[in-house]
Amino acid sequence: MDGIFLQQLINGLTLGSVYGLIAIGYTMVYGIIGMINFAHGEVYMISAYLAAISLALLAYFGVESFPLLMLGTLLFTIVVTGVYGFTIERIAYKPLRNSTRLAPLISAIGISLILQNYAQISQGARQQGVPTLLEGAWRMEVGTGFVQLTYTKIFILIAAFVGMGLLTYVIKFTKLGRMCRATQQDRKMASILGINTDRVISYVFVIGAVMAALAGVLITMNYGTFDFYAGFIIGIKAFTAAVLGGIGSLPGAMLGGIILGISESLFAGMINSDYKDVFSFSLLVLILIFRPQGLLGRPLVAKV
Amino acid sequence: MSQTFYKKGFLALAVASALGVSSFVQADIKIGVAGPMTGANAAFGEQYMKGAQAAADEINAKGGVNGEKIMLVKADDACEPKQAVAVANRLVDQDKVAGVVGHFCSSSTIPASEVYADAGVIAITPGSTNPQVTERGLDAMFRMCGRDDQQGIVAGDYIVDVLKGKKVVVLHDKDTYGQGLADATKAQLTKRGVAPVLYEGLTRGEKDFSAVVTKIRSAGADIVYFGGLHPEAGPLVRQLREQGLKDVAFMSDDGIVTDELVTTAGGAQYTNGVYMTFGADPRLLPDSKAVVDAFRKGGTEPEGYTLYAYASVQALAAAFNGAKSNKGEDAAKWLKANPVKTVMGEKKWDAKGDLTVSDYVVYQWDANGKYHQLEKQK
Amino acid sequence: MSAAKTSGFDIKRSLVETIVAGFLALIVFGPVVGVVLDGYSFIAEPRRVVMLVGGVMIGRFVLSLFLQTGTGQRMLQGFDSGGSGVHVLAPDYKSRLRWIIPALIVIAIVFPIFANKYLLTVVILGLIYVLLGLGLNIVVGLAGLLDLGYVAFYAIGAYGLALGYQYLGLGFWSVLPLAAIAAALAGCILGFPVLRMHGDYLAIVTLGFGEIIRLVLNNWLSFTGGPNGMPAPSPTFLGLEFGRRAKDGGVPFHEFFGIDYNPNLKFLFIYIVLFLVVLAVLYIKHRLTRMPVGRAWEALREDEIACRSMGLNHVLVKLSAFTLGASTAGLAGVFFATYQGFVNPSSFTFFESALILAIVVLGGMGSTVGVVIAAFVLTVAPELLRSFSEYRVLLFGVLMVLMMIWRPRGLIRISRSGVVPRKGVAP
Repeated sequence: MDGIFLQQLINGLTLGSVYGLIAIGYTMVYGIIGMINFAHGEVYMISAYLAAISLALLAYFGVESFPLLMLGTLLFTIVVTGVYGFTIERIAYKPLRNSTRLAPLISAIGISLILQNYAQISQGARQQGVPTLLEGAWRMEVGTGFVQLTYTKIFILIAAFVGMGLLTYVIKFTKLGRMCRATQQDRKMASILGINTDRVISYVFVIGAVMAALAGVLITMNYGTFDFYAGFIIGIKAFTAAVLGGIGSLPGAMLGGIILGISESLFAGMINSDYKDVFSFSLLVLILIFRPQGLLGRPLVAKV
Repeated sequence: MSQTFYKKGFLALAVASALGVSSFVQADIKIGVAGPMTGANAAFGEQYMKGAQAAADEINAKGGVNGEKIMLVKADDACEPKQAVAVANRLVDQDKVAGVVGHFCSSSTIPASEVYADAGVIAITPGSTNPQVTERGLDAMFRMCGRDDQQGIVAGDYIVDVLKGKKVVVLHDKDTYGQGLADATKAQLTKRGVAPVLYEGLTRGEKDFSAVVTKIRSAGADIVYFGGLHPEAGPLVRQLREQGLKDVAFMSDDGIVTDELVTTAGGAQYTNGVYMTFGADPRLLPDSKAVVDAFRKGGTEPEGYTLYAYASVQALAAAFNGAKSNKGEDAAKWLKANPVKTVMGEKKWDAKGDLTVSDYVVYQWDANGKYHQLEKQK
Repeated sequence: MSAAKTSGFDIKRSLVETIVAGFLALIVFGPVVGVVLDGYSFIAEPRRVVMLVGGVMIGRFVLSLFLQTGTGQRMLQGFDSGGSGVHVLAPDYKSRLRWIIPALIVIAIVFPIFANKYLLTVVILGLIYVLLGLGLNIVVGLAGLLDLGYVAFYAIGAYGLALGYQYLGLGFWSVLPLAAIAAALAGCILGFPVLRMHGDYLAIVTLGFGEIIRLVLNNWLSFTGGPNGMPAPSPTFLGLEFGRRAKDGGVPFHEFFGIDYNPNLKFLFIYIVLFLVVLAVLYIKHRLTRMPVGRAWEALREDEIACRSMGLNHVLVKLSAFTLGASTAGLAGVFFATYQGFVNPSSFTFFESALILAIVVLGGMGSTVGVVIAAFVLTVAPELLRSFSEYRVLLFGVLMVLMMIWRPRGLIRISRSGVVPRKGVAP
């Protein structure tokens, strides 16, 4: 026992918690309007740019302390990404509310192309990065080896779970959350009962974008680098996580993310990293065949 | 009513687009510059374009090629084979180029070169190092750079001779370029009796390599060789250091030759000490001084493949001038027989179209985020 | 929107909307456009922001005024209604589109006389996408099964040719039917367990399957050449090759007929064969939609529960659509491989699936003519936009979104001719 297994587990946990944060955007939008929001990965990508821009701006104004930097960046990124979420929904999805089920899907693919190229044209094609903010690591001796965890990763784990907790509170106990849940259950009924469902749908997009922004700040801090193409792979992974956990279910998204992260990490570490993605997608296909609603999802009942 | 109008409109558009876009007259000699102008590798396309433009301007100022001015045609393949074939056909048929500088990704250069060969257009790639580019018996395909197998030998030898590696991990990014290079290095290492303890691929576009890093740790490696590009190399070396593997040497290839490596790694403290193989830095050559100064005066640093693209345009121009013809076949014949004095020094090509002398050397990154050619090579 | 306001312009409302739009634009564009990252610092570009925000505000103001006019109001109502599914025509209705197919065929026959090789290759690519669009149209448009991994079958066809040539020495003509069968089999094997599921889960499983195929092709180095890809053979005409020199010791086409070597010949030949295949598929599809199985597909799409209670075997019906669609993609894959002369996994990404789906949806789900037009628009448009270079893909995305807003049911709506009972026949 030299701590390798434990290390892989922790690697997977951090990766998975980030997948989970992005998966929330997919799962909530799907839950409320039944649409797979393919542009969500790109929203995360934009938030990574925003985080780097905010860090550069803050550094320019001479802010150096870590808590201030972090707070400023989080606030800035979350607000601006939220506006992105709102605007995208207004322009590309709202006009399609009453049309076919596939129209928003195509529109989302269009938006994702637009965002990618918009970022590339305005920021250049090069790889972007942020300086390392929090250096140092925590090391624990295990048997003959050790487990090492950077402070950044500890910060990610804490921030991701705090973010999740806050969201769960909002959805479970606030008026906004009740409106969201009501709209999810039956949009027509909810609007009859006086809920402005259009507005609720807007909120859901904003919430998804805010979670993606949180993930964007955390990932950017941890890996230090991104480009305009970064949204694609992480988007597909997060979407897989959302489905794995049961699309439409909030705790499912987080659970799916963590399972996906850990299984990827263990498979790559113990067996072969070449086939790690094949493994995660096979896992997805198998789970869907035997449990189509995902791990925590509710089975769909066909209504006549 | 309006519906049919739109339908007609679209049909008309489709027909017009199929028929109406071709044919315009040209007076200049056109050279295509093909590479990833968009997409994840667009940075290299930018370098190509900058270098080629500067070379074309200089040659035009000196009287051009066979009395004609060079006009560059930018062609974007986004490093996708499908688009590479499309732009190659476009360059050949639509733009009627006399020569092509490109492409960048070997996986694009290979299918595109078939198109150029069919049309008898001479092509020279500044950056595709995969052996297959020139190994398929094409008459007019040249390279301005070395080959992966040459680069791999230099890397493998350096690991064995200088770094005295015992447990070597070889990683790659599962792409034509990175994997070809990793294979060549692995072969050379095995030949020298130091078979890699781990040989694995990463996924391009991912940033989390912690699982692989932990695996490297459990393998007890002392050297990590990575065949790939800087977007993956940066985070990889950072995560190695972050997981406490401070003494493991990291070596990579000419895909990380850009200052962006430091940005992607999160600071020069992580890239400090990274080795890489690259052609002898053209910026240090006496021949390139004037050109490099001109670039710097214009506010750009001619890094990476900029000067390679510059030299490629020079080689094409020299071949057309030397052969006194703008035909690809004549130019190719001339280029295989005569050396060309380029910004990167005098270059000669063999019958396959490869450079006769490979000039790969080992570089090291320092604590200030700059790279230097190492004195001690063997 | 009260009736009193329709006569005059409500300038105040327009101004408010303009200011709100400008404010949003400032937040959206301000940081990303105005602050260009440069290493760890930045370069400020305020002018670009001012221009963009100004553009958005002017655009919003004009749009706001336009929507207050009569035409604008009607457009708005058009969005709200959404329209119904199938549109039934009067029995003796003659479509204004009925001349389109013959016209297209005439254009297609005349076209190679004018075309140079570049145009020929663009059109070949367009036809390949027509084939893909037609195949996916059966799955998505007719049977209503959302397939996000359609590219997997396309890859099976393309790699079928490359692998068959490499390991079994098969040529273009023998692989063409084999690839269709192989893709159909793969569709069958994947479809059988999956088709019992509800629509959206199917989409996700197929997405996963598409990625698995691509990743295996990419990773199985010893068999598929991994990212290096594999060469694929050119087609032959009765055993004659189209290369400048014959590769397998035969006689090249141009020497046999004693004509000058012309690199266009290969593409011309692919074009002709592909065109015939597309015509055949068009015809088969046209007949199928009028056969019981075609009616069953559409019935299942509209209401699965009703169909099952009527005794339709939904799994078999879906499976037939899925398999047919897959085999068409297999055919397209073979053409793609021989057209490009080289296959590698980067041609079979998820984006490709999305593009094919976009063809089907933009063309109008279930509509054949629409798919043909959309396939050409989506493959030719990026080539046309090439002169815009870096804005090319951006414009393409804008086009997709605008198309969906303007015509969410696609370019051409499916319609069916109505039937009037003849007089004197007992009902």
